[in-house]
Amino acid sequence: MNTKIKTLLEQGQVAGFFAYKRIHGVWYPYLFTKSELDQLEPWQPFKSRYPIAKLLLAKARQNPDQTFGVLVRGCEERALREIFKWNQLDPNRVVMVGQACTEDLAQTCECAKPFPDQLNYGSAPAGVGRQRRVAELEAKADGERMQWWLSHFNRCIRCYGCRDVCPVCFCTICSLEQSDVAPTGKLPPDTSFHLVRAVHMAGRCVDCGLCEEVCPAGIPLRALYKKVNSLVADLFDYRTGADDGRSPFTFLGDESRLPAGLR
Amino acid sequence: MANSFEPKILAFLCNWCSYAGADLAGVSRLQYPPNIRVIRVMCSGTVSPHHLIHAFQKGADGVLVAGCHIGDCHYLKGNYMTLKRITFVEELLRFAGYDPARLHLEWISAAEGIKFAETVRAFTAEIRSMGPAPTFEATPRLALSA
Ligand code: SF4
Ligand code: SF4
Repeated sequence: MNTKIKTLLEQGQVAGFFAYKRIHGVWYPYLFTKSELDQLEPWQPFKSRYPIAKLLLAKARQNPDQTFGVLVRGCEERALREIFKWNQLDPNRVVMVGQACTEDLAQTCECAKPFPDQLNYGSAPAGVGRQRRVAELEAKADGERMQWWLSHFNRCIRCYGCRDVCPVCFCTICSLEQSDVAPTGKLPPDTSFHLVRAVHMAGRCVDCGLCEEVCPAGIPLRALYKKVNSLVADLFDYRTGADDGRSPFTFLGDESRLPAGLR
Repeated sequence: MANSFEPKILAFLCNWCSYAGADLAGVSRLQYPPNIRVIRVMCSGTVSPHHLIHAFQKGADGVLVAGCHIGDCHYLKGNYMTLKRITFVEELLRFAGYDPARLHLEWISAAEGIKFAETVRAFTAEIRSMGPAPTFEATPRLALSA
């Protein structure tokens, strides 16, 4: 971290750089400025993960005229691209430096692409293709699947941790706090709470898995979001986090897939 | 016993075709079951997944979305979106374990009063045979019995 990042800060290309600092042996996200260059340690792989894209977004919203740098993993690069596509952040005001994840982190995360395209540190491990839980769930009968989901949903304590940690939950007013969508004063919240969030994750979730990691109730949220995203990819031909010039604001998908002839 | 269940069905009808179709069914004195509650929307493409989830959450046993035929949309491509969106919500419901047959999409033009009445008849009968929709309420007790 202490070469490339140092140069960016020294040359004044960025006002601050979101990287990591070791405190008592644990890596924490930290916003480095020019005056703290000596505190940058050499890069080494580590497993701690944080919603760093979200920290950057919050800072950038307060300082719209400044450019910030950020050290990103594969999922974080995808998250930032989504944030760019949804016009929440100006891509010209962000400098990304990429780090690869370790092989075992990629396995733990079941990550399909555990490295950013912009790779500066580390070497890219192989992606993990399997989606164990989605496949398991699809094999169940419909009624059984509902019981399975309810047996998880009813542990929800409505802490909003899944939303708060989510790098692509950038809304300033959240639907999940509207009593029409998810009636308040109810614990566990209705299934609509989770389904509405699932709808919002469609075409946005970058499959970083932080929601599932923070959920104090251990609800397998990721399977739900993986599913909605694969639906969006099939129906609208939209792949989240891809740098392919497609915008979620345009009409998406193949029009010729509509049923032919009179209906 | 089975007869005591009267399904609650919510219908989103687009202003330009399906609502006019329903109107035609009415002025033509066509009979259809009184189980539907109609909400008129400007385009079937404006029916958001939130509306559909909200309907089920509020206890609808079935939801009908009807719009203009493909190619007839007043806004040219609104119903292309409808088709994809409904497919999406159906698949989401299926994955969550709910029966996607409770959500129905139909293209009904302003001239198709008969089709409107038939659609409502068939859909009501289908929902009636399926019984009340499972609740969206997650009760802690399920966790213990599971
Ligand atoms: S849950 Fe939905 S409304 Fe709430 S912050 Fe996330 S995307 Fe926005
Ligand atoms: S993090 Fe888990 S417990 Fe908290 S609101 Fe989300 S799903 Fe519910």
